[in-house]
Amino acid sequence: MIISVVSGKGGAGKTTLAASIAQVFSAEFYDLDVDAPNAEYFLQPEFSKKVPVTQPVPVFSAELCDGCGICTKECRFHALYKILNTVYLTEPLCHGCGLCKMVCPQQAISYHDSTVGDIRSGYSQRTKNMVHIGDLIVGSTRGTYLISEMVKKIDADKLSVIDGPPGNSCAAVAAIKPADLVVLVVEPTPFGFHDMQQTEQIVQQMGKNYLIIANKAMRTADVDHYFQNRTKQAALTIALENRYHKANLQGEILSQQFSEIHAGLHQVINPELIRP
Amino acid sequence: MTRQIAILSGKGGAGKTSITASIIKMMGSVVAVDADVNASNLPILLPHVQQSTTAYYGMNIAQVDHDQCTGCGACLSACQFDAISQNEEGRILIDSDCEGCAACAFVCPENAINMAERKGGDWYVSSIDNGYLIHADLIPGEDNSGKLITKVRSEASTIAKEKDIAYIVIDGPPGTSCQAISSITGVDVVLAVVEESLSGLSDYRRLAELIEKFSIPHFVLLNKAGFSAEVEDKIVAAAAEFSGKIIGQIPFDQDIPRALQSLQSLADMDEYKKTITELLEQITSSLTKT
Repeated sequence: MIISVVSGKGGAGKTTLAASIAQVFSAEFYDLDVDAPNAEYFLQPEFSKKVPVTQPVPVFSAELCDGCGICTKECRFHALYKILNTVYLTEPLCHGCGLCKMVCPQQAISYHDSTVGDIRSGYSQRTKNMVHIGDLIVGSTRGTYLISEMVKKIDADKLSVIDGPPGNSCAAVAAIKPADLVVLVVEPTPFGFHDMQQTEQIVQQMGKNYLIIANKAMRTADVDHYFQNRTKQAALTIALENRYHKANLQGEILSQQFSEIHAGLHQVINPELIRP
Repeated sequence: MTRQIAILSGKGGAGKTSITASIIKMMGSVVAVDADVNASNLPILLPHVQQSTTAYYGMNIAQVDHDQCTGCGACLSACQFDAISQNEEGRILIDSDCEGCAACAFVCPENAINMAERKGGDWYVSSIDNGYLIHADLIPGEDNSGKLITKVRSEASTIAKEKDIAYIVIDGPPGTSCQAISSITGVDVVLAVVEESLSGLSDYRRLAELIEKFSIPHFVLLNKAGFSAEVEDKIVAAAAEFSGKIIGQIPFDQDIPRALQSLQSLADMDEYKKTITELLEQITSSLTKT
């Protein structure tokens, strides 16, 4: 059983709620917000393992390459360029597709593995389970690849929580794809609703079972306004309160500090876990 | 000469868009850019009138001509992304994982695979009270390449040049990957909006590392402040480490999100007008000096 926590908008409370859900159910945790991972500040795992994630990238043989430049023209990702008669690689742009090697008339290209990021793992006393953090190399374009590689390692038989990336691009899709249950976190503001509805569209197109949690809610009238005329209502609403904010910014897990949040999450998510 | 200011944070929800909108409202003529193309919020906060819509095409995607395809399967082993499968009838299927590399098209002995255009979204030119707003909507789930960001930014430069507008202000995407890079290449200064939290600090460090690689000067605005002197001290130390000058501080104040509910920004709130004006002065004076 895999639960993916996503929101569209950044700062809606994905990590806050993903950490709380993992704490309530003692679930294994995957931080897939690989270019701004923050879950470790809440889960405080004792890191015991760091595994590099690699992808193949081309290397050019100086002896064989005659500088014809065919590879630079064929690369769809503009990752190759030629100066005088030497071909260079802009590694962060390379997708490791292998086309340059196929088109090279001199067989001057081979592939070797290069690191795009790391997965750090460790045990969290707070969730009583393992935590895996994806760290993309700063500036890399291969975030979605790193997410997919991490997803491959998830054991679907165990209860796992995924902390997804913000936005509604292919990276979000990759984090939603393995989910049995999607938790959509919405900040009930004009921004939050706009972005969440786009994520909801993706979730619905993928035919996923999902529930909505409204976080940082202010006046009840505002929240009601957003949810009126919607078939899917918020399963749980968490208020914007200074005490939550204060605990959160210092890396406390809300469900551990506040019994009402622990109880609320248990009540809405537990029935989903025991469903056939 | 046009000067470009980008507002980023690393962390989502730190306050990029509300600060960007506030700054824009306090400026003279300006071209505003929403570079967060897959969760575009600046248009919600800035009253605008849409002038034009242009379709955006992302990567070309593999398409099989089933009349030509013999089902030999050469493409299956060429694809590094597991995006091609063959069903029981031998029909070759391309799924949504296709990254558009064209390796399959190259190896196909029948030339049965073409790389076809696929619409990735739309981008818009709109007018605002004091200039223009260039923004875009990526189709949910599409590949968020920096290409669309580059497109809206180049359109902004063209308009700024044509209309002789001195400033381009860019509302950046969250994160520190390719979209962030596409938003900061060639800008004159970055304003980093840093939320007072451990997450905000961590993401600021990643952002500062990225900005440093491009040798762009940056300023820091501390947002949602006033709850933890300890976290604040750490942010101040990190800013010093990366030579980011702290030029303002906005407290955690529930009146701010409340104002956002009615689409008001800090520029519309008497108690924060001064902060924003001073912030803007510091940024613009740093640009006129150089």
